[in-house]
Amino acid sequence: MSDTEFGPWADLIQLGTRKAMQGLSEMIGADIEVNNLSLRCVPVTEVSNAFGGRDEEAVGIYLSVSGSADGHLMLMYEPAIALAFVDLLMGQPLRTTDSLDGMGRSALGEMGNVIGAFFLGAIADATGLALSPSPPSVMTDMAGALLDVVSADILLTQDETYLAEATFRVQGQDVNGVFMVMPTQELFETIVSSTKVA
Amino acid sequence: MVAAATDRAADRALGLGEWAVSTNPTEVLSCLGLGSCVAVAVHDPAVPVAGMAHMVLPDSTAGRASAVSPAKFVDLAVPLLLDAMEEAGADRSRIQVDLVGGASMLGAPGRPDTMQIGERNAAAARTAIASRDLALRGEHLGGTQGRTVRLEVGTGRLAVTTAGSTGGQKE
Repeated sequence: MSDTEFGPWADLIQLGTRKAMQGLSEMIGADIEVNNLSLRCVPVTEVSNAFGGRDEEAVGIYLSVSGSADGHLMLMYEPAIALAFVDLLMGQPLRTTDSLDGMGRSALGEMGNVIGAFFLGAIADATGLALSPSPPSVMTDMAGALLDVVSADILLTQDETYLAEATFRVQGQDVNGVFMVMPTQELFETIVSSTKVA
Repeated sequence: MVAAATDRAADRALGLGEWAVSTNPTEVLSCLGLGSCVAVAVHDPAVPVAGMAHMVLPDSTAGRASAVSPAKFVDLAVPLLLDAMEEAGADRSRIQVDLVGGASMLGAPGRPDTMQIGERNAAAARTAIASRDLALRGEHLGGTQGRTVRLEVGTGRLAVTTAGSTGGQKE
């Protein structure tokens, strides 16, 4: 990725991420700050290192991206953080939820819907591209197994991917989760090209 | 045969598209957190030679081969692994094979996995093994759960665990 490509890409990811957190803030009625946003080009084989190891248990909220080009959005949390999000989403005191049932999955899925819609909406508005999220899939499993959903598609044509990771601060507490944006090469080039003509 | 791998042995984890053959009897080859990926685990019970590949996609003709991840395609990984096993002293007629992985991670009810990559990986792996007349010792394929697999080089013992299992729960 050249500097001339990375600049516009980074700007769009930051814009989309802040809009996504704004949407989530409105949803749960609490301020959410983007604590740390890192943008890197990494080997696909190392993506699971972003989550501490392939066999660490995790909760993933996955949305595919379609429209002008294809890509993937994945939110991944340690199970305890995901349960805290369920409490926030349901307006319950923290630590009320101690296991992820159907209602909890539905709440996390709705969170994925809001984040996906705000994130892609911001990028679509800035570029003129048509980008739509799929319905969310909420999964609990080993981190590596969850990431296979994304990695297989990316590895089909490339060895590296542009990984955006964000951590958040909610109600004064850091939330150590990962919001991953992994474009296919096609989506990356489509977005960068659209910023050149915009 | 399914048994726990020993805690003392050195664990050598293979990432996406990686493969290895080992003649070190204290070593354990592993693939952690397999979802739609398939691990092929091979060993020769007569000599301490074992190998494993962490395969991601079924067919190299549909994608781009890679020097970084030489075993990412099933059709390339299996011959690579078998040739290396023979070079390390294994006899192809004695090689036993286990296949692990190939889950449909998006395949929960109401969530069709349109790529069906897990099923396609599993089918490609079965075909690659059957077409070479290799002995298939065991399969842990399909379903909607991730798996971790460990293979003891010295004994050929295989352990397969799933998320949330404790103390090496086996399938």
